[in-house]
Amino acid sequence: MNYFLRLIIITLISICALSGCKKNKTLVELGNEEQILHVGNSDEIADVDPHTTTGTPEHNIQISLFEGLVTQDAETLEPKPGVADSWTVSEDGKIYHFHIRDTARWSNGDRLVAQDFVDTWHRALMPALANQWASYLFVLNNAEAFYNGSIKDFSAVGVKALSEQELEITLASNTPYFLQLLNHNSMYPLHIKTILKFGAIDERSTLWTRAENFVGNGAFTLTEWTPQKVVAVKKNPYYWDAEHVKLKGIRFYPIQSDVNAERSYRAGQVHLFDKLPKDKIAFYRNNKDPAYRTFPMYGTYFYRFNTLVKPFNDPRVRKALAYALDRESLVKNVTKGSELAAYTLTPPNPHGYTANATIPYDVEKAKKLLSEAGYPDGVGFPKIKLLYNTLESHQKIAVAIQEMWKKTLGIEIQLENQEWKTFLENQRTMNYQLCRASWIGDYIDPDTFLQLFITDGGNNETGWSNTTYDQLIKKAASSNNQAERFEFFQQAEKILDDEVPIIPLYTYVGNRLVSPSVKGWKNHLQDFWSYKDLYLESQEH
Amino acid sequence: MHQEIAGIQNLEQGVSLSQDAFRRLKKNKMAMIGLLVLLFFIVIALLTPWIAPYSYEGQNLELGATSPSLKNWLGTDTLGRDQLTRVMYGSRISLAVGFIATAVALLIGVLWGATAGFLGGRVDAIMMRIVDALYALPFTIFIILLTVIFGNSLILLFMAIGAVEWLTMARIVRGQVLTIKKQEFVEAAVSMGLSPWQIISRHLIPNVLGPIIVYTTLTIPSVILLESFLSFLGLGIQPPQSSWGSLISGGVESMEEYPWLLIFPGLVLSITLFSLNFLGDGLRDALDPRASKD
Amino acid sequence: MYLFIIRRILQSIPVLLLVTAVTFFMVHAAPGGPFSQERNVPPEVIKRLNQRYHLDEPMWQQFFSYVGNLLKGDFGPSFKYPSHTVNDLIVAGFPATFELAFYATIFAVLIGLIAGVIASLKPNTIQDYIPMSSAMLGICLPSFVLGPLLLLVFGIWLQWLPVAGWGQIPGDKILPSITLGASYAAYIARISRGGMLEVLSQDYIRTARAKGLSTARIVFVHALRGGITPVISFLGPAIAGLLAGSFVVETIFQIPGLGRFYVQAAFNRDYTMIMGCTIFFAFLIVVFNLLSDVILVWLNPRLRQQVGGGH
Repeated sequence: MNYFLRLIIITLISICALSGCKKNKTLVELGNEEQILHVGNSDEIADVDPHTTTGTPEHNIQISLFEGLVTQDAETLEPKPGVADSWTVSEDGKIYHFHIRDTARWSNGDRLVAQDFVDTWHRALMPALANQWASYLFVLNNAEAFYNGSIKDFSAVGVKALSEQELEITLASNTPYFLQLLNHNSMYPLHIKTILKFGAIDERSTLWTRAENFVGNGAFTLTEWTPQKVVAVKKNPYYWDAEHVKLKGIRFYPIQSDVNAERSYRAGQVHLFDKLPKDKIAFYRNNKDPAYRTFPMYGTYFYRFNTLVKPFNDPRVRKALAYALDRESLVKNVTKGSELAAYTLTPPNPHGYTANATIPYDVEKAKKLLSEAGYPDGVGFPKIKLLYNTLESHQKIAVAIQEMWKKTLGIEIQLENQEWKTFLENQRTMNYQLCRASWIGDYIDPDTFLQLFITDGGNNETGWSNTTYDQLIKKAASSNNQAERFEFFQQAEKILDDEVPIIPLYTYVGNRLVSPSVKGWKNHLQDFWSYKDLYLESQEH
Repeated sequence: MHQEIAGIQNLEQGVSLSQDAFRRLKKNKMAMIGLLVLLFFIVIALLTPWIAPYSYEGQNLELGATSPSLKNWLGTDTLGRDQLTRVMYGSRISLAVGFIATAVALLIGVLWGATAGFLGGRVDAIMMRIVDALYALPFTIFIILLTVIFGNSLILLFMAIGAVEWLTMARIVRGQVLTIKKQEFVEAAVSMGLSPWQIISRHLIPNVLGPIIVYTTLTIPSVILLESFLSFLGLGIQPPQSSWGSLISGGVESMEEYPWLLIFPGLVLSITLFSLNFLGDGLRDALDPRASKD
Repeated sequence: MYLFIIRRILQSIPVLLLVTAVTFFMVHAAPGGPFSQERNVPPEVIKRLNQRYHLDEPMWQQFFSYVGNLLKGDFGPSFKYPSHTVNDLIVAGFPATFELAFYATIFAVLIGLIAGVIASLKPNTIQDYIPMSSAMLGICLPSFVLGPLLLLVFGIWLQWLPVAGWGQIPGDKILPSITLGASYAAYIARISRGGMLEVLSQDYIRTARAKGLSTARIVFVHALRGGITPVISFLGPAIAGLLAGSFVVETIFQIPGLGRFYVQAAFNRDYTMIMGCTIFFAFLIVVFNLLSDVILVWLNPRLRQQVGGGH
């Protein structure tokens, strides 16, 4: 035949042969040799600043860049020394004295002193910064009053530097989970000098978080932030415990789709990533893959109502919708990741609190409530939109729920998906009717969930407000007695389940792949982990 | 008097041309197969509400995803919905998008191109500069913007895709009109005092019909593909409705676990696009025997 | 020739202005600005944000100041990544997109031309049908199906090539380039086959054949020129399409290109980013169309005369 055809065949064969012979080392293999951890992060980050961000992708990175006064033991969940090497608590549980360790340093070599915490928390409470975590600092005495403007002088707030290394914290009330809270990103110290170099103290989104400007105090420090490509951190030589940090660096890749992330894992490009796609769970579980990890989590997947708009300003409508959902079927047939159907907001708690009140599955009652609200069999029910962020698994749940409501109540809802940040923004500005939401507890205490729905709470986002509820949460906060606190929470939870500003759908279960070469990994109830404990070991083939 | 004769002669020529073309088309096996397959899909799509085996949103959560069986010929998806039914309903939307959006493109493009070509001069220049400007807009983004800003609805989808696809049509028609305009019978009509609109609608458009038909058959597949891209981005059809595109983009996500969710919608889409392309090629050859077959 | 180029450049200025205006008003026609509905945020923050992004000014003033900044080459700050400017993001994202489009074009032209030439040498035989049906398949297979399929086979089953990234692991540029180039290769195959057939049937080729010149010589020296001309006129708009259409491939392969930025900006209503990218891409499209026209004129003396005399 003619030589063209032969030419092509030869070219194709040689291309295949060439690529076949030269099997490249994967990133994971290279990383194992160099102690560089490759992480699939679920999205591009909005910023690094813990005072202006709330998302998981941001959190995943912040925990490597900052460290609080105390940290946490992954297994026992007990507090461990962090920036502070020791502390004492007064008898009434309201006054804490922290001793900042001698070797505490910022990543530029500056000494980290007690005043840094005072200045950081001052910034966190500045109203113009619009910090969504501000209410987390309200545990400090007078912090709320300062935030609301009724106190102008920050020195009245319960945080004082007694000396360079002595930090005195006065709480508004006894807060049993306070030490846990100090491990939360809202409490991390920030290098105020750097912030001031690039703008006003209360200005959002300045250049201080760029890799070349950034100063932090964590086990790692920022070396690269290329949007859509990578956020890279390297070991911080000034970190007080640097000799125990074995990883040389971590690279976070924004991989929006969990399917893509799993593919990257299988091709050896990431050691670990956030969420195993639902369709793949069965495969890894049945094959007993050593990388597969499943563990209970302290988090709830729920739907938010915008209680300020029709028809959701009527609690009967909210209740009807909630009662009509078969959550057992949802977790068994749709999410399929061994999640637990949730009938109330707070997940069962290892510290001994499990809510008594529930939002039951009761179709008859749901129908009755709906017709009481003026929409018998869904007649005349307004067109509403269910908002979720673009992800196959959210869509599946939404589609299943759309059908459940259509079947049981005869109401039609539309689905709308939005990209993560738009979705967050719309949720925050309450530019929605019904939306998908989730919350992973910041500390192991019902307060982290029930706190969400206090009036005008930074993460309430439903417009729902109930003064009795607010008071109960306040009472629980000021109570000294754990049993009494839990009783207040039970009552608050009952109000929540009566008024239904949200529909709890399921309690999270972590389903992860962590490369067997990653050592020191511990499953954690909040899916937090400590990068400083991890190290990599090459796998022999 | 002889002007009228010229017109009649041309008309006769047109008739014989189209008969000739159809004869040639009938000889082209691939094109005829394409036409038949297409007609078959259209009939199925039209009859879907009556012949579909299940309701398109009816879930069976306990069942979940099952491979093809006697009960569900093309299997079921992860929510236990019958795949055959969903492909059938999907064909309604995909074909509707294909035809309606192309019709929108056709209407705007033909009128715009014919007007510009016929009037010529400054009007032509301005109209074509506008086309150039729109050409310079990255189309896909243009549609994404429209759907992001105004929300996604089926009608908007038709309009948006149509509004993007008319540009090439306008250029082709203008080019044809420019050449035909110089021919005798049009000059005759002008001298007879017919209004521009009459001339455009009676003389110009019928005479550029060939290229328009060919280009239309080639536009439909690209419109269907465009819709599938939008579905891939989550901007196309909103669940629980489905189009071939949204079924495929869903199937891609789980192609290892449930390959049938990708294979069947993909197959149907490919067959349709194949048919349309063969039909388009066949029509081009039939209408203009001199045109190179590419 | 120079006159022709200058005239085309002058013509493109109003085109770009129109694109700017259409996009600007379309983007701002969307109900509600990005900050206007913020809740739980003190009014001074909104005021400061609006001031910073000039959203408190009347629309026409915003437009003119935008165009003013544009002329200075400043696209403004991004809404989505508040600490980045659009210029930064374009500079960060474009190289990957450009490189991807470049490799895809090379792939498309190489494979397309070879397939087209092979098919044209023996029309209506197996040697014609096989490359042409594969070309049809290439056109009918959307890139978001082709991409994952290639990934599955070469990235995961065979483990020959990486499944994500760009310039991080050797070989990670191969699959994205093929995925993006495939449908264009298919078009080029069809177009070049048509062009070749036309040339091959002409008298001078027959004469050459009669003279006993080898097939290879006829194809490479004479016929290929005829086959390439329509391909070049197709390439201008096609490259523009490649650049703008690369976002699907960028998403599948996690490539940090401008296409992904652009599409996400649209999802986010990141006004400045959408504007910046649209103008940038429009500019590129104009440039590539001009380039392909210039090459066409340069290749074809008859067209050159027409252009010289004005049409």
